[in-house]
Amino acid sequence: MSSASWDIRHVDLSDRQPAVAANPRPLFVVFWWGVLPLGVRIYLPEQLPLRRSELGALTAELASAQLAARSPRFCGPARATYDGKPLLLVPADTLQEGGDLLKQLDDFAETSPISAAPLSVVICTRDRPEALEHCLTALMMQTSRADQIVVVDNSTHRSAEAVSARFPDIDYLHEPRPGLSVARNAGVRASKGALIAFTDDDVEPSPTWTMEVVRAFSSAGVDAMTGLVLPARLDTPAQCYFQFKMGGFGSECVPLIFDRRFLDETKATGAQVWRIGAGANMAFRRSVFQRVGLFDERLGAGASGCSEDSELWYRLIADGGACLFEPRAFVVHHHREQWPELRRQVRAYMKGHVSALFVQAARHRHGGNIRRIFRQLPGYFARSAFLALRDGGGARRFQILWDEIVGWLCGLQYAFRPRWRARPVEMPASPNLAQSARQSSL
Amino acid sequence: MAYRIAEIELTEPLTPIALTPEQAGLAILARWKGRLAGFHMASAAPGYIFSTDEIQALCAKRFGRRLIALEVEAALAQRWATDADAPVPSLCIAICTKDRAQRLARLLNSLMPVIGASRFRVTEVLVVDNASVDSATRDVVAGFSGLRYVFEPCAGLDFARNAAVRHATGNLLAFLDDDVVVDRDWLDGLFNAWRGCPDAGGFTGLVLPYRLDTEAQVQFELRGGFGRGFEPKTFHAASADNPLHPVGSGVIGAGCNMAFDRSLLLSLGGFDEALDTGAPLPGGGDLDIFYRVLRSGRAMVYEPRYAVYHEHRETLPQLRRQYWTWGLGFMAFLAKSRRSDPALKRKQSAILRWWLLDKLADLGVAACRLRIDELRFLSAELWGGLVGMAGEYDRSLQRVQKIREQSS
Repeated sequence: MSSASWDIRHVDLSDRQPAVAANPRPLFVVFWWGVLPLGVRIYLPEQLPLRRSELGALTAELASAQLAARSPRFCGPARATYDGKPLLLVPADTLQEGGDLLKQLDDFAETSPISAAPLSVVICTRDRPEALEHCLTALMMQTSRADQIVVVDNSTHRSAEAVSARFPDIDYLHEPRPGLSVARNAGVRASKGALIAFTDDDVEPSPTWTMEVVRAFSSAGVDAMTGLVLPARLDTPAQCYFQFKMGGFGSECVPLIFDRRFLDETKATGAQVWRIGAGANMAFRRSVFQRVGLFDERLGAGASGCSEDSELWYRLIADGGACLFEPRAFVVHHHREQWPELRRQVRAYMKGHVSALFVQAARHRHGGNIRRIFRQLPGYFARSAFLALRDGGGARRFQILWDEIVGWLCGLQYAFRPRWRARPVEMPASPNLAQSARQSSL
Repeated sequence: MAYRIAEIELTEPLTPIALTPEQAGLAILARWKGRLAGFHMASAAPGYIFSTDEIQALCAKRFGRRLIALEVEAALAQRWATDADAPVPSLCIAICTKDRAQRLARLLNSLMPVIGASRFRVTEVLVVDNASVDSATRDVVAGFSGLRYVFEPCAGLDFARNAAVRHATGNLLAFLDDDVVVDRDWLDGLFNAWRGCPDAGGFTGLVLPYRLDTEAQVQFELRGGFGRGFEPKTFHAASADNPLHPVGSGVIGAGCNMAFDRSLLLSLGGFDEALDTGAPLPGGGDLDIFYRVLRSGRAMVYEPRYAVYHEHRETLPQLRRQYWTWGLGFMAFLAKSRRSDPALKRKQSAILRWWLLDKLADLGVAACRLRIDELRFLSAELWGGLVGMAGEYDRSLQRVQKIREQSS
């Protein structure tokens, strides 16, 4: 299945006559209700075109989740359960009141314009000028442009400078110290907006992205947001494997609140903060960095591997903050094309994940993180091996499993580095606020 | 250990539900505006009284989202432009029965009122008496008006089903086993399924427990029973989500409640009489026909409103035997498909490995947790599977040939 190449289609179910037509190649379909993403489904040519019964059942299923999760009348905004799924409790009497549910869905899909002016967008890049060009092009075509776009060039030879110069009003910044966290922190320091959004050079934001990011902060209780990350192409086996077998960057399409309750309910077994979202599509209020500090420079690509984003969310919700996953803000991501690149990425992901678990355990004294390293992850490897054996799927699954185990073993080195673990997080330079923030992060 | 089955209409106010001292749990069958919306089993101490708050919380968690989905579905019918409906097909309902006159009468009692209100043109209700030893079945049929009685001398469920295919009139042919009772929405559900996908080759429906009075019935239902859920599904010759599909055709439904385009059945050559023969190979016939319908390029639709209530096995030995026949029937079906449909050889081998490893892993888990009943169910199914692999289909072919010769 993962060896074929897939077409990507978008279908608006709020149309009078929606259809998923026959296609000679397998389809990855993103279903929408106007601007609301409802969900993704995959189909082989034999399953197409979709019958009316299928579209009806699917729409009912997707729309019901959307309504339950968004409408205050049911249980919106939805809280996340431990595994990043919405907790949907809908008492029957809330439905008794009647009211047109589709009209309500239309209201949720309403697109009043909103200014993206308070936003600074930070793009960290390293030796991928062509990809960066696509990303910047997409940022230039936003419905409402962010006030500031900061390109942080993390390469040694300033490889992004020429590309950045081709676009108007880009704040170009060279950060030669390697590491994604270092680059992102440089971006935070250079940014001026009250909201700071991050995306990566291998990402193309949708035209309404900046607007939807700002909209996600319209509730005062939201300190940070993440959004939906969809695949840009599914042309190679590596891209398909990442999307279908590894879940890509998630395909949940209902808004979710991750807050202190999420942490409290799950910290004993290791809070799954990576479910909150992806660094390719996230934003913070500026005050968050003053409250809980900057990205941890020990973590992330170029350092321990990854998870610098989820570790910051961990700190934020441990401090009582709230993170909103809002799929309306969506971007497309170019997955790794080649199999060796994907394998390297998997190793880095697992190593970075383990390192972040050590850091979280040391900083918050939450033993669940350690439990995850030494109990859940080995259990996960055993289960993956069994599933690979049971379901087949060839050498690929075992290769990826092997890479995960190697990454995990590499991550275990941090068990023997107590001084590395004990290092405090860096605060932004703002003396009066930094003081109170340091207290709260301890 | 018994469970109380309570049917709740969620548009009406809830009332507390008390268990008797013999009942160790509550099975809620929820309806919303008359439509089946969900089924959930909650264990409790014997004699426990479920308060309205508890019931409400259970319903909110288990069925709430489904209720919104039902409302959305109804609203969509208004909003979406409708295609011109295909002409409504006529329908024949066939009941295959053997030596179970009482249950047949019970089924007919539930069926007759449903037929009266049908949107299909029901051509006839055909009772196929599968070599019953006495005249009780014939007598029951005589007690109802408008039934057609056919006697099939060759013992074996798929002989009876093929007799139905031969004798039936009408475009669609719905099959019922004699150990079920139909839901009041049964025929409406089938109509709905047909209208949503008029070119489907077959339809299956939800199978709920008729009663949960014994340990075996409760255990069976807790282990999944025949339940395929409350969301309609459409199956095709391949599935992006399941690389083994359609070889694992058990997910599509169960043979006690299914319907087909009759002309398709005729062109496929009917059911395989060497499967579902009753003892010693009482299974696999439904898997085989679902598989062949899908392989012919036609879709199968699962519709939860098209629901029946099935009388589960009463005792644990009977239940273990049922799991044994599942293993046996599945492997016999697989052996047959490997021979008749080599194009899917890779999927057939993959599902064999999947099945064995899956059962072994479950067996290991049950052994570690010292769950004795579970262990015995799983080993029965696994043993049945191994017997099935060891040439059961060929043995059945020979037996069936003998039956044919005897009756001719």
